[in-house]
Amino acid sequence: MMQISRLSRTDWFGPLLAILIAVTLIQSFSSTFLSAFNIQILLLAIAVNALVAYSQMIIIAIGQMNLSVGAIGGLAAISFAGAMEVWGLPAPLAAIFALVVGTVCGMVNGILIRITGISAFVITLATLSIYKGINLGITEAQPFYGIPDSVKAFGSALLIGPIPWLVVPTLMTTLALWVMLRRLPIGRFILAVGSNDHAAALSGISVGVTVVAAHAISGLLAAMAGVLIVARLQIGQPSIGDDWLILSFAAPVIGGAVLAGGHVSTMATLLGVVIVAIITQALVLFSIDPFLVQVVLGAMILAAVGLNRLRSRQPLKGGIQNG
Amino acid sequence: MSVKDLSPPSGLTLSAYGAGLSRSRFFLSNEFGLILLIAVFVLVFALTARGFLSPFNLFSLGRNAAVNIMIGLSMMTVIVTGGLNLAVGAIGVSVAMACGWMIEVLGLPWPIAILGGLALGAALGFINGWTVVRTGLHSFIITLATMSIFFGVMIFLTRAEAFRELPDVFSAFGKMKIATYFSPLLLVTLACALALTWLYRFTVTGREMLAAGASPAAAELSGIRVGRVIVLCHMLSGVLAGVAALMLVTRNGAAIPSMAGQLGQDWLLPAFLGPVLGGTLLAGGKVSVLGTVLGAFLVTLLSSGLLMLQVGAFWVQTFLGLMLLTAVLLDKARRSYLARRNLA
Repeated sequence: MMQISRLSRTDWFGPLLAILIAVTLIQSFSSTFLSAFNIQILLLAIAVNALVAYSQMIIIAIGQMNLSVGAIGGLAAISFAGAMEVWGLPAPLAAIFALVVGTVCGMVNGILIRITGISAFVITLATLSIYKGINLGITEAQPFYGIPDSVKAFGSALLIGPIPWLVVPTLMTTLALWVMLRRLPIGRFILAVGSNDHAAALSGISVGVTVVAAHAISGLLAAMAGVLIVARLQIGQPSIGDDWLILSFAAPVIGGAVLAGGHVSTMATLLGVVIVAIITQALVLFSIDPFLVQVVLGAMILAAVGLNRLRSRQPLKGGIQNG
Repeated sequence: MSVKDLSPPSGLTLSAYGAGLSRSRFFLSNEFGLILLIAVFVLVFALTARGFLSPFNLFSLGRNAAVNIMIGLSMMTVIVTGGLNLAVGAIGVSVAMACGWMIEVLGLPWPIAILGGLALGAALGFINGWTVVRTGLHSFIITLATMSIFFGVMIFLTRAEAFRELPDVFSAFGKMKIATYFSPLLLVTLACALALTWLYRFTVTGREMLAAGASPAAAELSGIRVGRVIVLCHMLSGVLAGVAALMLVTRNGAAIPSMAGQLGQDWLLPAFLGPVLGGTLLAGGKVSVLGTVLGAFLVTLLSSGLLMLQVGAFWVQTFLGLMLLTAVLLDKARRSYLARRNLA
């Protein structure tokens, strides 16, 4: 009994249980759910969505929010595609360029929030509009089609069996984030600032540097998601990132992240992404209306925050005052 | 604490003692700054943009301003409580679609359909407010979820199809011109703004809303039922979002599911620009209806002027974002200036 009660207190146990139940249930109703092709589709969705969720998770960890995740991802995606088509850069250089663009966008967010002391919500709402506007101004809402074959091949190549190559960067990022939040000073600083920035400052942590670093990491992760999605879609669409907002909050919250900051879990967030992907996929498999995906996502956020609240039994502070 | 007790909090000076403001204080206020900015930009656009002062442009400017101000007011009513309502766009579109459905499918006369739509707006606002109060979670995460739910249900029920066979009253009202320059939509907005001003200045409910926003604990101790007040604010926000959406319907002549973008996200920027430019505190407890109206008008003026200057439609969004940024920075500078000079 002790074991179970200790397990139930970890962030990853609940989501894992939910995944196992969901997979068993869906498999018993539809035998194609665990087919190789379907697993490949699931993994492709998880590869990109996990990075989007991590991008938000890092900001939730410092007790703020980043509305511009999708805008940064979109801008990085068209920078990647545009650098290859217009400037003729080789794919690796273009990818690095896109990641730099994303990191700089994130740093701008962090620096503005830090210098002005204005809530992250307002600042990232403003930069969301700025980045999206730059994206539309450059592309004039036209996609870049000139993606080199090497990138297209990477987007559709399989590693072993049904496992696509695209999951490799995501897995490496997951590992890196896990190590960072557990073992590296910067990760511990981020969590410390998130749980109480005053106490963190008094213990000698530079809150400003930590906040800017967290936003830079968030921008980098969003940009990675943008680059991967270009490889997957084989087209540099300006509308990439438009629908990331709900998703980016859903997965960390399902993974037990506390919106007031200071408590996130990389593994549980990944499991949250898997849950979202499985349910979305199930709606498609059972040919339930795809329009209902939005409703389910929203309901899942509500259910998750309700459960987290029951689990912690501590009053949650709203994120916005912390920004 | 003691300093705060001695001087009235900056938030209350404008709303409570508005009439008694000394002249020098008015010049330092947000509203005066906005009026100045509006005057400057009107002058700049009139001189540089050809056709800016043409009757047609002024008419469409007024029509757009009416909708934007309404969206800003809708967000303002929730910001007053220190919360926010990300679902304004989703509620607005739902109201518009419900109104279209009642007219086309149920065959109800249009005044009843409009009332029915607004009732739905209030009901959706009630769901938001009730959930926020009962769970004790921040309205950000609740309305993020309900925005997805409301929009999803709306798209599911309508199959993403527009209602185009609306009675002619709608498009006639949208096209109507008063004195060749003004749209009657502006009058609707003006009436709502005046009603809100009256609400916050002279009614007990309005004062309770401000008190609940300024300090929920203190309000609760003074006998205000904070939960009920917060639910009321969300319902008001839902109704106002519905009015804004119905105004868009009269402009488009049809109820279109995509009129506020994916999940109604396109309304978020105008919704926050108005109140933030107008000096409504995001932390709650302070409100400036006039400021919100002026702020939203300035935003509309700038978008229209930039389009006339042929900046390129795609860049306008960047400018709006930069403006929100500049506005909050200026406001911050103004506040610290006032604090240093001990004026506020």
